[in-house]
Amino acid sequence: MAFVQNLPFISIILSLFSGPLSSILDGKKAKWLNLAVITAVGAMSAAVLVFVIGSGEPYVYMMGHFPAPWGNEIRVGTLEASMAVFFCLIMFLCMVGGSRERAIELEASKENLYYVMVDLLLCSLLALIYTNDLFTAYVFVEINTISACGLIMIRQNGRTIEAATRYMIMSLVGSGLFLLGICFLYDLTGHLLMSNIQEQVKLLHETGEYHIPLLVSVSLMSVGLAIKSALYPFHAWLPDAYGYSTLSSAAILSSLVSKGYIFLLVKIFYRVIGFDIVRDSKVINVLFVFGIVGMILGSVDAIRESNIRRMIAYSSVAQIGYIYMGLGLGTTAGVIASIYHIVSHAATKSLLFVAASGLTDASGDSTDFFDLTGAGFRNKLAGAAFTVGSLSMVGFPMFAGFISKILFAQAGVESDHKMFLTLVALAISTILNAVYFMKTVIRIYTPIHRTGLPKKNFEVVRAGQQPAKSFAMVCFIILNLVLGLSSEPIIRLFENGLKMFA
Amino acid sequence: MNAAIFAVVVLLPILAGVLIPLLPFRNRTAMMIYIEAAVLINSVLVFTALLHRPEDAFVLFRFTGNLSISFRLDGLGTVFAGIVSALWPLATLYAFEYMKHENHEKIFFMFYTITYGVTLGIALSEDIVTMYCFYEMLTLVTLPLILHTLTREAVLASRTYLYYSLGGAAFAFIGMVFILSYGTTSNFVPGGVLDIARLGDHTNRLLIVYVLCFCGFSVKAAMFPFSGWLPKAGVAPTPVTALLHAVAVVKAGAFTVMRVTYYSFGTDFLRGTWAQYVVMALVVFTIVYGCSRALKETHLKRRLAWSTVSNLSYILFGVVMMTPLGLVGALSHMIFHAVMKICSFFCAGAVIYKTGRNYIHELNGFGRKMPKVFIIFTISGMALMGVPGLCGFISKWNLVKAAVDSKNPLAYAGIAALLVSALLTAIYMLSISVRAFFPGRDFDYSTIQDVEDPNWMMMLPLVIFVIAMFCFGLHSAPVIRGLESIAALM
Amino acid sequence: MSGLILLPIFLPMIAGIGMLVSSASAKWKKAPDLSAEGLRKLHILAITVLAVSAVLALWTAWSGDVSFTLFYLMKDIPIFFHIDDVGRVFVTVISIIWVVICIYSFVYMKHEGEERRFFGFYLVVYGVLVALVFSGNLVTMYLFYEMMTLTSMPLVLHNGSREAIMAALKYLFYSMCGAYLGLFGIFFLYKYCSSLTFTPGGTLDMALVSGNQGIVLAAVFAMLIGFGVKAGMLPLHAWLPTAHPVAPSPASAALSGIIVKSGVLAVIRTVYYIVGPDFIRGTWVQTAWMVLTLLTVFMGSMLAFREPVFKKRLAYSTVSQVSYILFGLSALSPAAMTGALLHVVFHAFIKCTLFLTAGIFIFQCGKTRVEELNGIGKEMPKTLWCYTFASLALIGIPPTSGFISKWYLAQGALEANIGVFRWIGPVVLLISALLTAGYLLPVTMNGFFPAKGTEQTEWKKQEPPYLMLLPLVFLAAMAVLLGVFPNPLIRYFSQIASTVL
Repeated sequence: MAFVQNLPFISIILSLFSGPLSSILDGKKAKWLNLAVITAVGAMSAAVLVFVIGSGEPYVYMMGHFPAPWGNEIRVGTLEASMAVFFCLIMFLCMVGGSRERAIELEASKENLYYVMVDLLLCSLLALIYTNDLFTAYVFVEINTISACGLIMIRQNGRTIEAATRYMIMSLVGSGLFLLGICFLYDLTGHLLMSNIQEQVKLLHETGEYHIPLLVSVSLMSVGLAIKSALYPFHAWLPDAYGYSTLSSAAILSSLVSKGYIFLLVKIFYRVIGFDIVRDSKVINVLFVFGIVGMILGSVDAIRESNIRRMIAYSSVAQIGYIYMGLGLGTTAGVIASIYHIVSHAATKSLLFVAASGLTDASGDSTDFFDLTGAGFRNKLAGAAFTVGSLSMVGFPMFAGFISKILFAQAGVESDHKMFLTLVALAISTILNAVYFMKTVIRIYTPIHRTGLPKKNFEVVRAGQQPAKSFAMVCFIILNLVLGLSSEPIIRLFENGLKMFA
Repeated sequence: MNAAIFAVVVLLPILAGVLIPLLPFRNRTAMMIYIEAAVLINSVLVFTALLHRPEDAFVLFRFTGNLSISFRLDGLGTVFAGIVSALWPLATLYAFEYMKHENHEKIFFMFYTITYGVTLGIALSEDIVTMYCFYEMLTLVTLPLILHTLTREAVLASRTYLYYSLGGAAFAFIGMVFILSYGTTSNFVPGGVLDIARLGDHTNRLLIVYVLCFCGFSVKAAMFPFSGWLPKAGVAPTPVTALLHAVAVVKAGAFTVMRVTYYSFGTDFLRGTWAQYVVMALVVFTIVYGCSRALKETHLKRRLAWSTVSNLSYILFGVVMMTPLGLVGALSHMIFHAVMKICSFFCAGAVIYKTGRNYIHELNGFGRKMPKVFIIFTISGMALMGVPGLCGFISKWNLVKAAVDSKNPLAYAGIAALLVSALLTAIYMLSISVRAFFPGRDFDYSTIQDVEDPNWMMMLPLVIFVIAMFCFGLHSAPVIRGLESIAALM
Repeated sequence: MSGLILLPIFLPMIAGIGMLVSSASAKWKKAPDLSAEGLRKLHILAITVLAVSAVLALWTAWSGDVSFTLFYLMKDIPIFFHIDDVGRVFVTVISIIWVVICIYSFVYMKHEGEERRFFGFYLVVYGVLVALVFSGNLVTMYLFYEMMTLTSMPLVLHNGSREAIMAALKYLFYSMCGAYLGLFGIFFLYKYCSSLTFTPGGTLDMALVSGNQGIVLAAVFAMLIGFGVKAGMLPLHAWLPTAHPVAPSPASAALSGIIVKSGVLAVIRTVYYIVGPDFIRGTWVQTAWMVLTLLTVFMGSMLAFREPVFKKRLAYSTVSQVSYILFGLSALSPAAMTGALLHVVFHAFIKCTLFLTAGIFIFQCGKTRVEELNGIGKEMPKTLWCYTFASLALIGIPPTSGFISKWYLAQGALEANIGVFRWIGPVVLLISALLTAGYLLPVTMNGFFPAKGTEQTEWKKQEPPYLMLLPLVFLAAMAVLLGVFPNPLIRYFSQIASTVL
């Protein structure tokens, strides 16, 4: 066994322990520790990724060499490793980009706690990605929830408490359903390790026994994770949570946390139940429908919103809808599209949050739509970044969103009876996206003196004034372009990874 | 000649445009010389490329497996690239003079020049993906041009333009994905690329997609019910309305429709299906609709814009005939309308530039004060009406020839629509001329004392266009023969 | 040699454009109006150019059949001139009348002003008309037909009043409408004819047509309606009574006498030289056409009868009379065709006389309404006598010219194979003739014998100047004399009719 194979485990442990460690450090040190951990984990994951690509097959890592069913396993394929790398990258940039906001918005005494939460979040995300054990997954889902709540709540402005409470309640409902689902499965199969469950489920499916309980179990897990990842009718917590928490929280939550759950769901579909069985179970049709409804209605909500942060948050609802629609197509192509969208949306959404904060910096910290008039001139980099993000969301060629849109559409065309719905939903949703994002872009590039709005003396923000944020924005833009322009290797990576799931 | 020249002609204007706000120009003249030189050099390069016709394709860049940005020149592309590169230097010249009275010249010329490259990108696209990408980019780079004055009206107009265009692109996107899935290749091949074997019983589905895709691309060509953006976009400075909203952008819409109809979906597949009837009905209706709106309009540029709406549907009418003859008609109108409409827009621009008057009822007696401009305006109006001897007649003749030939009852209705539209054109164009030349017996000329013809920078393009209108009108055989050779490949 | 055909076309056009340019540049320089000297030079120039072109036109026309291809508009469509018998007739009438009216205008236009513009357009229109008549194929004819509309429009709006401008736009609208209906037909004929060159008897390719008769007939009908606009046929006749009264009287005379005839020419060309009378005979197109013409004949007369404005009354009369011609053409029989051609010639002379009279009334005493003309015969007896002779000719009282043409029209209708119209036609013509008498003769009667109760008892002689009177006398004389010696004309026209039918 190569040393590299230990790295996933080490990275989880590293981030897990850096949390408690941070609690005794002061804010500044905790921050550097956190960044260092993220970087280290990212580097390790990259090493793992290189290794897995090199070996061409997944491997299973038994913790403490205890074999199943007693031991706990980690399973690493290219998909897992690349997700880990990517999540670290995004998280790093979010943390860098939001550092100034944190310094302002968090109480100094609680700053280190923030990093505790982030470390734990990273840990739980990694565990969700790597684990081969359903119950471990559940445990880390809970850790994830708690740390996410902390991230929301730590900026204390009243609304966040409410938002966090909402989030907590919804999340717990979701976790509860998820847990129920796991219980069912355990009952049916007697296993908690994914690989073992899959074998049993296959047998059950072939014999036709326990068809309904299996179905219930799949539905419970899907719905549970769907609630946690804010699929359309369960999204009520989201706008407040993203809209009022501190910048890095919002960015991380929108781009990573919900994506972690979705990734887990994909994993369950492939690794636990078996994708053929899922496809036959019709659960995905429900996901498909709610996905499409979310795509449309999320955008409609976004159009009505006049607070830019909340608008971006609502847009997340729509984008989550895309991902579920892809899953709901029930084809490998659809899943690939969804995974690609997880990545491209994560990159784009965090870019938008950071850019929006850059714009609000230049508008007296107001998030109101009208106060942003002309902000693109006052903060040029943020304006450009916001434009790039918007174009990507609209699915403009050259940017990340275009590729995921085209992957969705191609997957849709292959599916027989879902084709039209998919394509038309994509088209309409594109238009709706265009409406609110491009409206904002035009707004930020309209000089204030031409609009007849009362003139306010907003300061001009130069890129050099906020080096961290500017750095993050530039990196995000580059990331977006990379995803948009050279998607080929990434897609192939995901395809291989998905093959390794089976 | 190396095919890399395609990439050069696309990228050169984009690069040159981006550099405009960055370069330290000593004065306005220096900037003008720089821009005109860049545009001219590019046009020369385009024409060299058109003459030498490199056969092979040039792949600029690959997104994923079959998605790439690649260029190639074929007959259809030659026509469009030819129109664009012939008109751009002239329009730029005109713009120098016109833009004197507007602000933010550098930004304006930046996007204006970039648009040149993007439009050429559409013309030279080898496959539907490239075309789609440039089509989207065109929306984006022309947006600031509409936004230019930044008045409330302009902001609203640009927003409308954006929603329409991106919405159209969203539907065009569906068509693109289908071609990627059901086509043997994503490249443009005369006669279409649909894989009949894969089609199976999906014919109807594909027809729906065609209709959606047609509608999507024809948003730029301002087909009803997607025509609302064009008249509104008239708030842009006249060089933009003239070149982009009478030629580059809207023709790009028509061009893309031609591409998907003749080169992707294939006319054999579409001819005689309900899809053809649906799109033809829309087109025929637009022909009349545009004209009647033009008639009602009292704002000069908006009237011309509605006229463009109608005329673009002439082109689309040729396209939806789905016969080689139809394509000849469509292409000929694409060329001729470009000349006629840019000419009339430039005349309108000259009036606005010189006097700031925008409404038709304010133009009384201008014929005496700006005789050259209004004589040219009248000639272009006659050309639009289809007076024989001017180029409009030739394209109309070819369109109708195709319609008569198609023996399609709806096409017959289309002929009637064309003629009704010609009649309405006569009214809305000539009533302006009559007003200008015959303001009435007791008209007081002292109210327009200081009105005069503009200087040579504005007149030169106008004169060239008039000569072109006569040349094409009186001696169209070579052009038509060229177009027929393109259509013969179908 | 055959290129000589271009001279009478382009010489007046160039001269006319020259005058227009000088007019425009004079305004540009804010030069004062023309001095008397300048005016005389203008007149001399106009009449010289016109006379030379007319002579050239007549000479080329009567020196034999000439063909000339100017250039190819499209690869199979040349701009092609060809002079044939019908062309000769029309060019002769046009040339004579154009010169005569020109002389009349010298004086008349003094009170309208803007002479340079008027004569400029007047000359251009002459060139266009000659070209129209010499056209050898449908597209060439269409080209000049449209040009004629555009160049004659300024004649209508000459006085520049709002009314005139609106009338001109109406004229434009109707003419374009007609032209495009014609074009609609041309498009189809291009497809279904072996060529668009005028050939007696038509060029319709029956092999192509078979199976598509419906659409071809529709196309032909569209052309009839379309070209019928210029000829004032129902349903698109309304421009005539609007445009004629506001135009300067020489222009109304030219419009009424000549320009409406270009519509007739276009119909002749379409029916007899492209489609061929055999194709239409017995179809719904012929029936509908006849119904329309007869309705127009009757309606026009009725409207004229109750019209109080003198020039408008004459305009309605034109509507009615030109449909006599169209009726003759629609009957598709040799005698009727002869009658129609005769009426083309006679009506041209008669109607010009009438309009020039109206012009004199306006010029001399500003009277435009019929009831104001009480006693006018006492003031200008010579003028009114000319009017009276022309009126008699129009009514068709032997031995004046109108009688001859109407006789042939009626005879043609009777001998044609057109069912019930064989007798309806002549009856309508007769009724209309009575109405004609009813609307024309009261002017004469009240003019010479003013109704009782008029205040005025002393009549001041105010005959117009000779330059106005002489053309009038000449035209009136022609109107009468052609009826007295009609035989050469009849022979010539019968021969034309026999070649095409």
